[in-house]
Amino acid sequence: MSAAVLGALEFPPNKMENTQLVCIPGQRLCLADKEHISGCGTYERNGYIYSTLAGVVNVVKEERSSIIEVHSSKGQGIIPAPGDIVTAKVTIVTQKFCKCVIKCIGDTVLTRPYRAIVRKEDVCATEKDKVEIIKSFRPGDIILGRVLPLTEVHTYHLSTAENELGVVIAYSESGVAMVPVSWTEMQCPKTYVKEPRKVAKVVPETVTVD
Amino acid sequence: MEVNVGDVVLPGDVIQAPNTNDKGKLILGPGLCRHMDEVLITTSGVLRKKGRNVYWVDSHRKRYVPVKGDTVVGVVVNRSGDTFKVDIGSSEQASLSYLAFEGATKKNRPDVQIGDIVFAKLLEASRDLEPELVCVDSYGKKGKLGVLPEGGFIFTCSLNLIRKILNPKCQMLKILGSEIPYDIAVGMNGKLWLKTKSIKETIAIVNAILTAEHLQHHEIASLCDDVINALKGM
Repeated sequence: MSAAVLGALEFPPNKMENTQLVCIPGQRLCLADKEHISGCGTYERNGYIYSTLAGVVNVVKEERSSIIEVHSSKGQGIIPAPGDIVTAKVTIVTQKFCKCVIKCIGDTVLTRPYRAIVRKEDVCATEKDKVEIIKSFRPGDIILGRVLPLTEVHTYHLSTAENELGVVIAYSESGVAMVPVSWTEMQCPKTYVKEPRKVAKVVPETVTVD
Repeated sequence: MEVNVGDVVLPGDVIQAPNTNDKGKLILGPGLCRHMDEVLITTSGVLRKKGRNVYWVDSHRKRYVPVKGDTVVGVVVNRSGDTFKVDIGSSEQASLSYLAFEGATKKNRPDVQIGDIVFAKLLEASRDLEPELVCVDSYGKKGKLGVLPEGGFIFTCSLNLIRKILNPKCQMLKILGSEIPYDIAVGMNGKLWLKTKSIKETIAIVNAILTAEHLQHHEIASLCDDVINALKGM
């Protein structure tokens, strides 16, 4: 198996046969040294590069080294990493935390959702003790959050403790999309009722000049 | 259809709002909602007005929706960690913390068992959150709240009957109490707890309260006299 990978490296590109090496998770691909670097879908252990996904091996040749990657046949390999800004939809709100579902990582829309939690202490940077989750998020809100270092197995922890993070889209009790009026309130355009939320300061990427 | 105060209204009707030269605020109670520049009715009932600017719809309801500040009668059904789960007849069970009793500390746990009846106040009640109860007021005093003594009888009635008997104009509880000694806890969730000396008196008072559903205030007074006479005659 590792010979096939090394073989793919040694053949010059125009004479290379179309050898598609299919691999399974845990399969040892090749030696990990200066010339072979593990890319996405692989990991390095005990001096060797192993695959993490079931898919096709792809070798990216650079000047002095080559990156070994594994691409899964279906779907994305992207997962939330600590520090990423993700877009999530709030599902359940309790006194101490709110559960949400990650829909996008950065600009990439995910094909499968990931579960996440925003704890009471991570909602706001200031006055962490006085924060009430019910006044920051409600079920159905779309929020921007930053992924915190992983602690639990199946859930990501998000933080909205920055000005640019928080609620982006929210619907009022009558089902209409609300308009932000301050950093802590949004207003429904039909019933004029103001509801408290932790509003995100969304900076527009493009500014049109008339 | 435009309606006036005192009419029987249906969802979709529009209120004839008072003139805009009043320059006051309109307070919309349950059953009313603002839609652009109109006030729409969302539940069926009788439109009422209090004072100059408070409007609401009196509707017949049996299902309780938790409202912050209401005092309710609930049954303890579960205990998990630091909280009790209490059934108050709403869509979700309410949570009652161990520390929300008078004189309760982490070492001094309150004596509450599963199956006990509690008379508590709703601290937090929202559409999206689990209701939270407390058995102590903001000063830390128990008052009338807390676990109710044994030997009582719980029954349910509609929510508007609860509001009717708690109305200061209604003399029912006073008239009954002048002849029959009893203890009662009236919960805004439609549940009442009653304790008297004998089963006959309990049944008499329960029947009197349930019959008062469709009676006017003056008819209620004569109903109470009838009940008391019947009890004495037995």
